[in-house]
Amino acid sequence: MWRGDPSINDYVDRWVAPRLLRDYGITLRTIDGQGPAIVNQLVVERDARARGSADLVWINGETFNNLRKEALLYGPWAHRLPAAKYVDSLSPIVMRDFEQPTNGFESPWGRVQFTLIYDSLRVPAPPRTIAELGRWIRANPGRFTHDQQFTGTTFLKSVLYAENGGARSFAGGFSEKRYTEGSERLWAWLEGVRPYFWRRGETYPASVADLHRLFANGEVDFTMSYNENEVITKVRQGVLPRTSRALVLRDGSIANAHFLGIPYNARNPAGAMVVANFLLSAAAQLEKLRPEVWADGTVLDVRKLPPELKVRFGAIDTDPRGIPRDTLRRYEVSEVAAEYTERIASDWKTRIRANPR
Amino acid sequence: MENPDPREPEVKGLLAAILVAGPVLVGLVYSLLGSFSVVGPGATGFSLRHIQVVLADSTTWWGTLWTVWIALASTTLATVFAMGTAVALRGERGVDRFARLAAVMPLAVPHVVAGLGALLVLSQSGLLARLAFAANLQTSPSDMPVLTQDRYGIGLILALTWKELPFLALIAFSVIARRGPALEETARSLGAGALRTFRAATLPVLWRGLLPSSIAVFTFVAGNYEVAALLAPSSPLALPLLTMERYTDSALGVRGEAFVLVLLAMLVSLCGVAAHEWTANKVETGE
Amino acid sequence: MKRTRALPRVGLAVALAIGAILPLAFLVVLSVSAEWFYPALLPGQWTSANWNFLGRGSAVIFSSLGTSAALALSAGFASSIAGLFAGREIARLQGWRRRFAVALAFLPVAVPPLALSIGLQYSLLRSGMGGRFIGVLFAHIVPALGYTTLFFAGIFAVFDWRVEDEARSLGANRFDVLRRVTLPLLRRPLVEAFALGFLVSCAQVPLTLLIGQGLVNTLPLELMSYVSAGQDHLAATAGVILTIPPLALLIVAGLAVRRLRVVIA
Repeated sequence: MWRGDPSINDYVDRWVAPRLLRDYGITLRTIDGQGPAIVNQLVVERDARARGSADLVWINGETFNNLRKEALLYGPWAHRLPAAKYVDSLSPIVMRDFEQPTNGFESPWGRVQFTLIYDSLRVPAPPRTIAELGRWIRANPGRFTHDQQFTGTTFLKSVLYAENGGARSFAGGFSEKRYTEGSERLWAWLEGVRPYFWRRGETYPASVADLHRLFANGEVDFTMSYNENEVITKVRQGVLPRTSRALVLRDGSIANAHFLGIPYNARNPAGAMVVANFLLSAAAQLEKLRPEVWADGTVLDVRKLPPELKVRFGAIDTDPRGIPRDTLRRYEVSEVAAEYTERIASDWKTRIRANPR
Repeated sequence: MENPDPREPEVKGLLAAILVAGPVLVGLVYSLLGSFSVVGPGATGFSLRHIQVVLADSTTWWGTLWTVWIALASTTLATVFAMGTAVALRGERGVDRFARLAAVMPLAVPHVVAGLGALLVLSQSGLLARLAFAANLQTSPSDMPVLTQDRYGIGLILALTWKELPFLALIAFSVIARRGPALEETARSLGAGALRTFRAATLPVLWRGLLPSSIAVFTFVAGNYEVAALLAPSSPLALPLLTMERYTDSALGVRGEAFVLVLLAMLVSLCGVAAHEWTANKVETGE
Repeated sequence: MKRTRALPRVGLAVALAIGAILPLAFLVVLSVSAEWFYPALLPGQWTSANWNFLGRGSAVIFSSLGTSAALALSAGFASSIAGLFAGREIARLQGWRRRFAVALAFLPVAVPPLALSIGLQYSLLRSGMGGRFIGVLFAHIVPALGYTTLFFAGIFAVFDWRVEDEARSLGANRFDVLRRVTLPLLRRPLVEAFALGFLVSCAQVPLTLLIGQGLVNTLPLELMSYVSAGQDHLAATAGVILTIPPLALLIVAGLAVRRLRVVIA
């Protein structure tokens, strides 16, 4: 798993691990690793016929896609978990990873939604749609940018949907024609506002962490996150200023889930399944949801839970900085085919990033 | 000059060198195979596709040029300062010894931490900017001149120079202590004045002793990822950053391009090594 | 003449001291603070939370610290000794052989770390050394040995072999010559080479990650996680911890030098 966020590390090391040991006799050891690196690692492990290193990997989207393509995942197994019956199986966000059905090869762990983050002191009346954002950027030159990685690409996708009448027009698999037409509007929008970006759009922060730093230090007035509650944890960690707030764009907030998979060469797949099941349990999902812990959305359908658990989920204090759950649901939009994301990311690099002027 | 024991076969030295370089050669072969798409993530069997794509891309060349610029600039600065420091602080007084220790201390700081520090100090909202703000010289970060993620890599060069100077200074101190006095005394006894002594005796000795280390620094800086990730701009994209990006691209088929870039980076380093051989030769014959 | 040069020398010494101490002080301040945003000159919050955090997950931190220390010490030790012998043999070569050998010895230094990691990954994993301390140690020794070999090649290039010849002419065998004549003269370079290998090991990130398959956790790896996650204060804390041993080593070596110089001169 990615070990960069101390809140997540805390949750896993200090809440999950002791309980796993106490209740199941499982010693949980976390290994540093993230997305694309996991795929490369497993490919080399397979080529070198080396023994497996991880039993459980934290993945989503393109990583899942690539792992499936290379047949590097053990499975199917996720549907067999006892806790799986409480999963929100009607939600396309949880049951499909970038439009690809999970088919039991990965077990859902949490769900998140894309939001912008702004400072209520600096921007008391923030824009609510992409169109308003465009106007705001032009009126405030040098105060907005996006990062080069997943979060930035999600922002670009949001613009793509907004400029093309919504995500629905991109649903149902990848279409070259739809991509070409749709992306033309995206590039047009970008070229229009680009001269008003931070550093005139000639350079971009490498990752969303760099963007957070720019925002916290007042170089830009917006940052963003694919997790709607990241603003809560980051303020608590002292990484973002206390007046930071999240906002959902009315054009739609892209939602996706993150999952757990078992590598084909896992040495202890049974143990991995027990861990995944525990992480899917109501208790673990509840703890994870708490703003003081991780504030990561649950993949469970709360209505399916027994009444006393239902109550506890409902009673979670929502932090004033966060966004009310019904607002989130109202604007939620699911991910479309992964190829759209890939194409936007690579075309952005060649069309926009490589041409600073 | 030095006389190795004539009874020792020369094979031993070559063997030692091969042992030292062996693992790298293995790695190079793997990268070679990877660039032909024979091994590695997304490998499809022998193909020239990766090589064609990478070499035809202007981003590759701009990135390489930019990386060479950064490496040259920081290595040159660090070398010049190291030499100057070594000459200025060659005494044995307390001041000299203390200053030499101070010069060497940044060695202990990990590169990535030095990069982070440089970012937090030199960025438009960094420590320097805040000092300027406190002194009423600016009112917002955009007033501050751009030193990080800039086209010329100024912040990057400064950070790398700060980190490489102690290494070169350490070598320079050693060289001058070991070889300096003998040659200088000879020069002075032949009647040369201070400046002449410096140019004819001290400088060449220093330069020759420092040269291999400077080349090592050049190649190290050219291949360094962590500091560039913090301080380099997104265009032109430095070679190590480009390589990492390709290796972790979401499209598996693209990842093989990283191997081509790896070989390109090796080529840059080897040019540096060749330059070392060439200049070392010149200096030797010139003597 | 020396008196007129004193002022610029003192100035240089002061500048160097500032250049060394200020950044370290900055790091320490970062490690005990949070919420330090523009335009504040001082942190918004002083806190020991970072040190608590790094110390709390005690299993994680102490194992990663311990692993890093063990790796660096072993790599420093192995590479300094091996480098001495390798450098010595290379320095004794002549002509084209020597240039070829030096060029070869340059390879571990010249190859970009990512390239070395990707390249070594397959072979080390294949041989079963992956995911183990020994595998990562071997991987660390590769670049460290390159540096120490070149270092010693340089030293032996200006080494006065006559000392060895004289000892041998006095009846000492090869082993004795090495032990009683050569090695004592090389005490300081050995310490420096050890420090070099130690530092090289401390700097390794992709190598540890790829060969260790994530199972071998080191502090530099954690440091990188924090930096890429934007956790500047935690990164500074890890950075301070990583800086202390080499710093101590440098200071000790710096003080020890004095004594050695007197002996040699």
